[in-house]
Amino acid sequence: MPRRGWVTAASRAVTVLGVVALIGVLPWLSGRSPELSILRARSAEQEATLEALAAIRAELGLDAGPLGLLGHWLSGLVRGDLGTSWISGGPVGPGLVHALGVSVTLMSAALLVALVTAALLCWPPLHRVARGERGRTGGAAGAALTALPEFLLASVLLLVGAVWLGWFDPYGWTGPSSVVLPALAMGLPAGGLIGRLVADGLTVTGTERWVATWQVAGASPGQLGRALLRRTLPALTTQVALVLVGLTGGAVAVEQVFAIPGLGRAVLGAAEAQDLPALQAGMLLLLGISALFGGLAAVTRALLLGRALRSGSVPVPARTSPSRRRDWLLPGGAAALLVVVVAAGLGRDPLASAHPRLAAPSAALPFGADASGRDLLARVAHGAVQTVGTAALVVLVTLVVGVLVGLLPRASVGPVEVANAAPPVIVGVLVAAALGTSQAGAALAVALVAWAPIAAYVAAASAEVRRQRHVTVLPVLGVGPAAVTWRYAVPTVLPAAARNAVLRLPGIALALAALGFLGLGATPPAPEWGLLLAEGMPYVERAPWAVLAPTGALVTASVLAVSLSGLSRRPRRPAGPVAVPTGTTAPSPEQPAAVG
Amino acid sequence: MLSAAGIEHDYALHRRRPWGARDVAAALQGVDLQVAVGERVGLVGTSGSGKSTLLRCLLGLERPDRGTVTLAGRTVRPGSTASLRWYRRLVQYVPQDPAGSLDPRSTVRELVSVPLRHLHVPGDHAAAVTTALTRVGLDPELAGRRPGELSGGQAQRVALARALAPGPVLLLADEPVSGLDLPVRDQVVQVLADLSAREGLGLLLVSHDLAVVARLCDRTVVLADGLVVEEGPTADLLTRPAHPRTRELLAAVPALPA
Repeated sequence: MPRRGWVTAASRAVTVLGVVALIGVLPWLSGRSPELSILRARSAEQEATLEALAAIRAELGLDAGPLGLLGHWLSGLVRGDLGTSWISGGPVGPGLVHALGVSVTLMSAALLVALVTAALLCWPPLHRVARGERGRTGGAAGAALTALPEFLLASVLLLVGAVWLGWFDPYGWTGPSSVVLPALAMGLPAGGLIGRLVADGLTVTGTERWVATWQVAGASPGQLGRALLRRTLPALTTQVALVLVGLTGGAVAVEQVFAIPGLGRAVLGAAEAQDLPALQAGMLLLLGISALFGGLAAVTRALLLGRALRSGSVPVPARTSPSRRRDWLLPGGAAALLVVVVAAGLGRDPLASAHPRLAAPSAALPFGADASGRDLLARVAHGAVQTVGTAALVVLVTLVVGVLVGLLPRASVGPVEVANAAPPVIVGVLVAAALGTSQAGAALAVALVAWAPIAAYVAAASAEVRRQRHVTVLPVLGVGPAAVTWRYAVPTVLPAAARNAVLRLPGIALALAALGFLGLGATPPAPEWGLLLAEGMPYVERAPWAVLAPTGALVTASVLAVSLSGLSRRPRRPAGPVAVPTGTTAPSPEQPAAVG
Repeated sequence: MLSAAGIEHDYALHRRRPWGARDVAAALQGVDLQVAVGERVGLVGTSGSGKSTLLRCLLGLERPDRGTVTLAGRTVRPGSTASLRWYRRLVQYVPQDPAGSLDPRSTVRELVSVPLRHLHVPGDHAAAVTTALTRVGLDPELAGRRPGELSGGQAQRVALARALAPGPVLLLADEPVSGLDLPVRDQVVQVLADLSAREGLGLLLVSHDLAVVARLCDRTVVLADGLVVEEGPTADLLTRPAHPRTRELLAAVPALPA
């Protein structure tokens, strides 16, 4: 045990140091020379002599190579100096600290929204299970609508709450009225996700035997409800923490849509303007918030579990696998809708400005035309193909990386935790700062985080395979560790891991669209979905269809993503195709047979 | 001859507090054990007496804190797969719940040839598989089936055939019949008895089931709290137990076998 703990701790430490170092050497990675713009910002009169430029380079530590640069940056951090802006030439610290205050206020409001949403979603199943009814995991349709990506929900809320109804401020940060919509945009998806996780967990917990025992012993629904929550929540704290960490990524998109002067918008602006010191400092603050959420989750889990955590005797809830036909109804319908749209629009030209600007939908133009007179049906259809094609490539990469990394469960702890906790938007900002914006960069950013769930799954599943009796006996038969991995663990885990990865395809497509929406992915005139939405937003009052077409496509994809992820969280058990005739006992990974 | 001398083994428990010292539980406190060529020895004891830990040490799966395991004078200790091949060819293992130890995706032929391939046993493997199946009284026609298509008794015999395939001189069996229903248990015990009587195969049988030990073993060793408290010919030990822990074990058996 001590040695394993050492590997895990080292893995975490190395990963965190690696991320900090990566942020530190960002100016070197991007290979840009900021000295001229800094010189201009400081004084218009000074001539750009080689000496003057060299002095600025030396002052910024740019000539010292990556290590010197890192040392310069770190020593500045230690003194509380967050760096000097490459644009204004002034220190970036004060502005970012103010932005941090705004973002923290917004996140707190969003957290409140999330908690209320989650509580509303959990109440029916809790009520049902506490009264002894065996509930089914459900409410997927309602939950799917709350689990829209933030950038999409923010656009819809802006449209409805500020433009059409005029109840709230559409832009800026002027008072309580400007908090409502952004907090809803960030809090509803997070709350929807947490609510679904807890509701599903409660339903599964409700089938455990102790519940029946408690009921027979006369426990009141209130007592049982508290016990059910206490039993269910610890297993979910890590996932809930990931959702909360995701708020930092949501903040970037939401602050951008509502023009809120928060940290997310500051970071995005810094990335667009190539003001790398501001970006570095902003990233550090965002990651600090993420780490704070992660730490809070760990403390909560420890408090809920008490000594059970340290003795390693935490019961793991058994998985149920009700792959009923109706579970496929919602994703099937969404997928069919998308296929119809693609089939209808693929033959049309997405780039030609052949129609009147912002033409209304008609028989010839079912979705209307955009601000440049391009056919929106064609753009949505081609966008689907481009986005899904890129997403499929990302899925393939994440599957390979996830399986390879997942086979080193202890050494991969740190990278998996960090990649799981890093929202794709934040990684997208980093990648865009280092490599410039492109669809390939967006794909790289999404791939950089999307492998982690696969790796975590492979690590858990292969650990389960290694505990099976037909595998524990192998060393005695002369089968070495490498052969155990490649001949037993991988073939058993791979089909389920591949299924898991494929089910994540719509989610990855949405992440790509989010980056496109924020200007971190595909560049115009590409018909990318996020980009379509961003291009339509300015015309939302005159031509709502310019927004409705991409919104409709994205909502359909979200419903597909959410309903599929519901299926992937209840995988079939990763054993091989076992034909069990009646009369023999086949040990399943969940139920160790014949305890001697 | 397999010999264990002065085996001690501790387990580090989880810390009570994150900053506290680890508690240590002693599983074995200086155990000596010999199994001569062709001898059949029973190792009995209650749960937690250290039987399974001792077996893991004897199999070269766990390194004892002190003491050595030797086979014919050659030391056996956990190491690379290659460094233990010689030992695994000579000493094989029948796990608890043998049927559960069969990979459900493999055919019987593949299962039985696993040790032949991985232990680099020379000769014709196909013929060796057939021989091994015949030795445990199975029809070689079953070689194409998978574990799911076998009866309980057949699966137990396949597991036994797999252990016999590399031609070991000694079998270490960990509760090989616990958890089986009686007819199947008797079949497996009969196969083990026949093998040792006909072919002089040695046997170290770990069990808490004294009826099985009485039927199969010449000599019995009683393990309690990590120590050998009594050993001797099985018949004497069962009729005139000297140590209180042996008497406790016997008292737990409803009726002694004839």
